[in-house]
Amino acid sequence: MKILVVDDSKIGRMSVIKSLEVIKPDAEIFQAVNGLEALELFRQERPDAVFLDLTMPVMDGYEALKRIMEVDKNAQVIIISADIQNEAKLRVLAAGAKNMYPKPINDENMVQIFEQDLSL
Amino acid sequence: MNLEFNEDQIDTLKEFINISMGAATASLANLLDAFGTMHIPKIDICNSNELAQKIESTIDLKSMYYATKQLFTGRFGGECMFIISEDSAKNLGRHLYNVTTPSRDDINDAVIELTNILTSTIVSRLTQELNTQVQFFVPSSQFIDANSIVHCEDVSDYSKIIIISTILDFKDQKINGNIYILTKDEAIESLRVLIDKRIEEIYG
Ligand SMILES: [Mg+2]
Repeated sequence: MKILVVDDSKIGRMSVIKSLEVIKPDAEIFQAVNGLEALELFRQERPDAVFLDLTMPVMDGYEALKRIMEVDKNAQVIIISADIQNEAKLRVLAAGAKNMYPKPINDENMVQIFEQDLSL
Repeated sequence: MNLEFNEDQIDTLKEFINISMGAATASLANLLDAFGTMHIPKIDICNSNELAQKIESTIDLKSMYYATKQLFTGRFGGECMFIISEDSAKNLGRHLYNVTTPSRDDINDAVIELTNILTSTIVSRLTQELNTQVQFFVPSSQFIDANSIVHCEDVSDYSKIIIISTILDFKDQKINGNIYILTKDEAIESLRVLIDKRIEEIYG
């Protein structure tokens, strides 16, 4: 299974990866530091799932989500964000994200993501 | 005393501020019934005599400002400052009290209410991420011009200052302001120790 983790913050990526290593130890993990890099990696690698941050330089998560969904309307994207406003969640769900979780993500969230949000 | 931060420490501090600002924005979004746009925080480590200039570079020098300062102490101590221009503060008063021309008192009340939520949420959430606790002092608010925001006596006892800055931004309501968390000398060193512990936990 290929998983793409996108966050401009290294500690942000590391906390997602740490949970992934517990829940999906066999996953092959790719990392991107902004939306543009994420989009390129998405095209190249066609990951099974994407963990996407919203607040990032160069291209933010909203734009990246939109473009990823244009590349593949069945893309499985989970938003992990510090933005915990209801409206932010409504916006990303409307744009095709499977679900959104507040930072920092924990192992229970990760279990729920694989059991309920993603259809892999 | 080591007052330097490496890349991982700055990254971690930035991300914790991002999370803290997310919590504060959500609380204010409820208060204002509006959507706040998140911005990437900035971390600046500078000499105390550069503080005024750094802050002045982020605001409009021709405007008058409401500046609110709230001190906090603990293992990580410092000052959280919120600066909102007169125009933004008027928009806040209008929006919050649903009046066309808010009085000076309305505006003042609105700024204090917003600042209380903002600074206490940011600092509480930040200290939660750092696994520590702080005590808050009562905030003080002033209506002043841009050049008077930083007084020399505020910083003269310190050598280094960390300026953590971010933006509060409710675009549709034209309400925005700058937030600075200032921390000095000994507090910088404790901050570094607290950050290292969390890095160890997450990377380890
Ligand atoms: Mg980010």
